[in-house]
Amino acid sequence: MRGVLSDRMGAALLMAPLLLFLVLAYAWPFLGVVKWSFTLPTPGLGQYEALLTDDLVQSVFIRTLRIAAIVTVVSVAAAYAITVVWVRGSPAQRLIAEFCILVPFWISVLTRAFGWVALLSNRGLINTWLQSIGFISEPLALVRNEFGVIVGMTHFLIPFAVFPLASAMRSLDDRVLLAARGLGSSRMRTFWTVFVPMTRSGIIGSALIVFVFSLGFFVTPAILGGGRSVMIAELIYLRIFQSPDWGLGAAISVVLVLFVGALMALLFRYVRPRQLI
Amino acid sequence: MNDTKKQAIETLSERTRRGEISRRQFTQLAAFVLAGTPMLLRSTGAFAQAKELVLVNWGGDAITAYDAAYGQAFTKDTGITVKMDGSGPTEGAISAQFKSGAPTWDLVDVDPFSAITLGAQGALEPIDYKIVDKTKMRPGFGWEYAASTYFFSYVIAYDSEKYGKDAPTGMADFFDVKKFPGKRSLYKWGVSSWEAALLADGIAPASLYPLDLKRAHDKIAAFKENVVAYWGGGAESQSVLLNGEASMAIVWSTRASLIEQDSGGKIKFIWDQGLISPGALAVLKGNPGGKDAAMKFIASAQDPQKQLVMFDKLGQGPANPAADALIPADKKRINPVDPENMKKQIALDMDWYAKNYGAALDEYTKIISA
Repeated sequence: MRGVLSDRMGAALLMAPLLLFLVLAYAWPFLGVVKWSFTLPTPGLGQYEALLTDDLVQSVFIRTLRIAAIVTVVSVAAAYAITVVWVRGSPAQRLIAEFCILVPFWISVLTRAFGWVALLSNRGLINTWLQSIGFISEPLALVRNEFGVIVGMTHFLIPFAVFPLASAMRSLDDRVLLAARGLGSSRMRTFWTVFVPMTRSGIIGSALIVFVFSLGFFVTPAILGGGRSVMIAELIYLRIFQSPDWGLGAAISVVLVLFVGALMALLFRYVRPRQLI
Repeated sequence: MNDTKKQAIETLSERTRRGEISRRQFTQLAAFVLAGTPMLLRSTGAFAQAKELVLVNWGGDAITAYDAAYGQAFTKDTGITVKMDGSGPTEGAISAQFKSGAPTWDLVDVDPFSAITLGAQGALEPIDYKIVDKTKMRPGFGWEYAASTYFFSYVIAYDSEKYGKDAPTGMADFFDVKKFPGKRSLYKWGVSSWEAALLADGIAPASLYPLDLKRAHDKIAAFKENVVAYWGGGAESQSVLLNGEASMAIVWSTRASLIEQDSGGKIKFIWDQGLISPGALAVLKGNPGGKDAAMKFIASAQDPQKQLVMFDKLGQGPANPAADALIPADKKRINPVDPENMKKQIALDMDWYAKNYGAALDEYTKIISA
């Protein structure tokens, strides 16, 4: 009993600086942002009313949700395939999968965005190649639009989707799969009716993480969107630094944080934190 | 909107990295909302000594250029060190400095229209024209809260191989995709796009302001399918032309001459109907280095020889007319304020921008991103 208590005390002491840092660096300043949203330019709920009527804010919000949803579906599907290989493949396959997951993970988001511009632009590798084999005559518009944004974001987020899936797949009891096979289920059927449902928590966790991340993306849409796919983070930037209209910028931030907070709460209802790593 | 300006991404990441104490709420808002990026908290200016001035500009090459042209000489003459900070003094960022109650910045390389707005809010010191010499500025380019130190322009750059001998002659050609087929690129933050649309629509340069935004936005909306990208920073504007995504773009004159060089003369630019804009220095109210030292710095930056260094390094057109004659004959062509070039251009109306920019930009963003 004493041991447990002092362990807890020790853990609490170790956690305290982190908690203090989070409060000082994030929570406290954010209260200032909340204050702006109610006080700038005039005190009251005006900024929140404006949120409901401002069609720029609304169209950007809808676009952000739409892009986040598409990116989530594509990332999780791709990550699922990669993770299956990573967790259940042969040692050589695992090594390749690991390499494919980790290397992009270490490259900065900025570098990757410019990499995609180089690949997807009119005279980029893909268009040049497609033209040289005569598949197309005019370059395809692959970048500086929503398509480019989705490609760039998906590429960035796949590794984040892999970890919860890997955790779910690793904790799966192999004997269940063996039993299914033993009872005469085909490989495909075992995969779809046993394996996939049993990794559901990983799929939910991975989808929520990717979705939440997508909502706050700034650099990738700014570079690959060509000004045409403004997402919510860039709109906040515009309100704060360019317009500048802090009140509305702050109100959008508050709504976004609340929205993300709600999603996180949902996430932790379905998934235990340790399953996410 | 300056030379190296509004490079949204660069600026934001730089800002996040720096996280000066007085802008803490700001950077954290950005970091928290955008990515939750942890950052290093560093309290520079909080301990700034009186023998130091912090000049904030738009980063990149501007940091070394400002230091070489203005900073080092000022330190030699006065003993006051000048630190360059490239984090980008947008109107919102200056406002944050002021509202923090303890600014860590002294001088900012600011848009004159932002200086008008910020001055009215009480965030800037009035320029002390007893120290700063008004005769060393072009008439009309010294404001109550900001003094012009250079010029740049929004000009048309085009692919000369594609158009052969038919060079565009103005904004009407920019919007004419029958005569000049190919994709276009415009500025993401609106400035110059409105003027270009209205000039193309037949409005005379003299009656451009106040801008008829409705008419400009209709023209821009109808033109959208021809625009391949709305560039947000200088580097982006260069790349859309160099890699052939756009055959014609409205870019900063400072970049236009670089693009011409980098493309071996394939991409050219014209001054006709260019939109000329001053860059200015302003002093934060209650700046840590003291008002007088900051005013003296501005006065020292009026020296034609020093402005010549900025022309050489960044392509900034000198604010002091006395510098015009010092520019070598072969370089006069790329000087935005050379009398030959100046007469082809139209000056942006800073008072109009001070009043209308925010709302106009919202409407513009709505149209280009719809």
